[in-house]
Amino acid sequence: MQSERNVELTVTDDGHCIHFQAMASPCEVLIANSDGKLALTLGELVAKEVWRIEDKYSRYKPTSVCSVINESRGKAIAIDQETYLLLNFADTCYQLSEGVFDITSGVLRQVWQFDGSDNIPSVDAVKKVIANMGWHKVSFDEQQIVMPENMEIDFGGIGKEYAVDRAMIIANEFTDLPVLVNLGGDLAANKPRKDNVPWQVGIEHPGFIERKPMVVSLLQGALATSGDAKRFLLKDHVRYSHILNAKTGWPIEMAPRSITVVAPQCIQAGILATLALMQGEQAESFLTEQEIKFWAIR
Amino acid sequence: MQLKKKKPPVNLKAALTIAASALLGTIPKTVVAAENTTKSKKALKDSSWDFESALLFYSESDRVSAAEAILNGQKTFENDEVLNLKLTVDVLTGASANGAAAQPNVQTFTRPSGKGSYQTQVNETPLDDTFKDTRVQFNAQWTQPLAENYTGSAGVHISKEYDYLSLGINGNLAYDFNQKNSTFSVGLSYFQDTFEPEGGIPLAFASMPAAFGSTIDNSDKKADFNASRRTDSDDKSTADIMFGFTQVINRRMIMQFNYSYSKVDGYLNDPFKVLSLVDSTGIAQDYVYENRPDSRLKQSLYAQTKYHFEQNIIDVSYRYMWDDWELDSHTIDSKLRVPLSRQSYIEPHFRFYKQSAAQFYQPFLVELNTLPEFASADYRIGEMRAYTLGIKYGTTLSDGNNLSFRLEYYRQDPTDAGHKALGALSEVDLYESVNAIIAQVTYSF
Amino acid sequence: MLIHKNYHLTIYAPKYCTNIVKYALLSAAIFLASGCASLGVEPWERDLLAKDEMALTSSPIDSALDDHIYFSKEASSGGKSFGGGGCGCN
Repeated sequence: MQSERNVELTVTDDGHCIHFQAMASPCEVLIANSDGKLALTLGELVAKEVWRIEDKYSRYKPTSVCSVINESRGKAIAIDQETYLLLNFADTCYQLSEGVFDITSGVLRQVWQFDGSDNIPSVDAVKKVIANMGWHKVSFDEQQIVMPENMEIDFGGIGKEYAVDRAMIIANEFTDLPVLVNLGGDLAANKPRKDNVPWQVGIEHPGFIERKPMVVSLLQGALATSGDAKRFLLKDHVRYSHILNAKTGWPIEMAPRSITVVAPQCIQAGILATLALMQGEQAESFLTEQEIKFWAIR
Repeated sequence: MQLKKKKPPVNLKAALTIAASALLGTIPKTVVAAENTTKSKKALKDSSWDFESALLFYSESDRVSAAEAILNGQKTFENDEVLNLKLTVDVLTGASANGAAAQPNVQTFTRPSGKGSYQTQVNETPLDDTFKDTRVQFNAQWTQPLAENYTGSAGVHISKEYDYLSLGINGNLAYDFNQKNSTFSVGLSYFQDTFEPEGGIPLAFASMPAAFGSTIDNSDKKADFNASRRTDSDDKSTADIMFGFTQVINRRMIMQFNYSYSKVDGYLNDPFKVLSLVDSTGIAQDYVYENRPDSRLKQSLYAQTKYHFEQNIIDVSYRYMWDDWELDSHTIDSKLRVPLSRQSYIEPHFRFYKQSAAQFYQPFLVELNTLPEFASADYRIGEMRAYTLGIKYGTTLSDGNNLSFRLEYYRQDPTDAGHKALGALSEVDLYESVNAIIAQVTYSF
Repeated sequence: MLIHKNYHLTIYAPKYCTNIVKYALLSAAIFLASGCASLGVEPWERDLLAKDEMALTSSPIDSALDDHIYFSKEASSGGKSFGGGGCGCN
């Protein structure tokens, strides 16, 4: 993985674009300026930050904080301030969604593989896994976290969005120029590309081969997309989406295939998109009631 | 509401905004997105009032003290129209040089009202301590785009103090070109001022009359006093025109050049200022009221540059002014803004000023010589140098408001432009320096 | 034209002078005609210039107070704006 960590600079119509790979996604930083050296420096700063977050919180990295917690077997694990803040945010989302959003729900992967097949797990299998879930069973404070054995957490639902927001903070500390950070479709912009000129963002919907990417104009703020057309199960003509209800362990019925939400910060947009999907049929009305700007694909 | 339907938590957006701020330690920003349209950036601006307030203390050692308070409100409307309202109040107390020369003996002067006198000790610069004044000033300015690349602005000014009223109007037109990298501007302003000094307007070169008390046998003295007066009030008008050119040099640098032409007509004397009329030994025999021309034509050239280094910003300006009183001046003003953090900065400030004397300035009059057409001993139109050394500290508070403090030392050094000091006058300081401290606090919200 | 008038004088100096003057005038004219078009920035390069602290008058209140002080203490005023004035200050 380390060997792939490099950044690449290209010149665009009215600025520069820096590409890199992180969190299994193509990432880019767009900056509206004419100074290539400055753009490259910014791109490197952003990439470093995103890689740092990936190394720290990815469950695929055996040395990550996430892995250490998951292998703690019920022992208290010391945590730093950043981890505490992230857990705190996850906790807030758990409370706000009344348990529907739960970072301990990753264990459901043991029984659900969304590969387009008809491998629907048995009710018993799901029940068994559910026993190892529930954020309320986890206790944590600013110094440590204690998680019961056989449970797992993962930051999949918030990690990438958090990285976007952190990248934006880094960018704003470095320059006042207009910058857009795009980490595989989750993105944020600090200000319009030029005076009154929005960023044009093509949002690829994974799996929608026949669809053209939707182009969204964004002056400033953040976008996040939840949903994946490729990840589902099909049995008896019933389509099981990969969005699982953490309380039941079963997929949400009648959910849109993907939802893109606009919010001031990426982390909010990401949570709102996920929470909306979990409303199933009511996804759109849920967002409309909250007066949130979104695009849904069913 | 159906029971089955999951009720979304109350105002999820707000709750998440707070949660995100806790996580990221940021102040939430406005967010604007549009699917196909480009909304103008005005949507990003909130159009409430912005206020800036300041309190300034000015204090000269042994002389004038002033306190000045300003409240400035600005509101930006839909189409980039800006309304600016400003209220200024200042209070002045203390003593001011009356123009007479220091003497080896105690001197007695009549107060401007005629109802009393004050004394000056041996070898000291005579200071009139009568001054107590409160002034209230109001300004309103309206600025708006007129057409593509044209911006117009118009304003009114009114200022009232116990013995002075000033009314003014101004207009300005700016034209941007070369991708808004260049701007031409032309401005006009006109002031009409009325001066009604305590004790009336003295006759030019009239002798300072003796003070009269409130007793009955003072009618003669009162008549003498009245005989030295011309009228109760007088006025002056000021018309200004200014041409400006602003140019962006590069990403870090911007420059401005102005030419101003100003015509002042009417009563330009200071009714409280006198000149010592001395004999050949330098001893004052009389004090006579000053007399200046009734018009003054001023012109000035001004250039300013601001340059943004990696972190610091330097601001340097130079002004050359000349007039038909044969007075000219050079002013260099420079500031260096040094950020201390993202929220705060310090800004050292240095200003140097140098002026030549007006053609009719003289520190005293000599009895034997014929009286000139015009004369004034007001050191402020004499030859001088002045320095200002200051420092400003500014910070953005946690609620986003700005607070700054400014402390400056201002020194005036009047210099001898070659007037031969007769006899006793060579023993005294005719050109006394003035030292002042300026302290200011500014808060914008 | 001047060159012909100065024909009897030394040839180099006047020629040299007039050339200098001519070049100076010419370059000044070009500079003015171009409206400083070679100077300036593209709209997206205004990151630094857009800062409040890069405005030519970055603190109007300080300027107003200073104008008032120097107007009443010195014989010059204005230049940058219609500064000071409007008071019978001493």
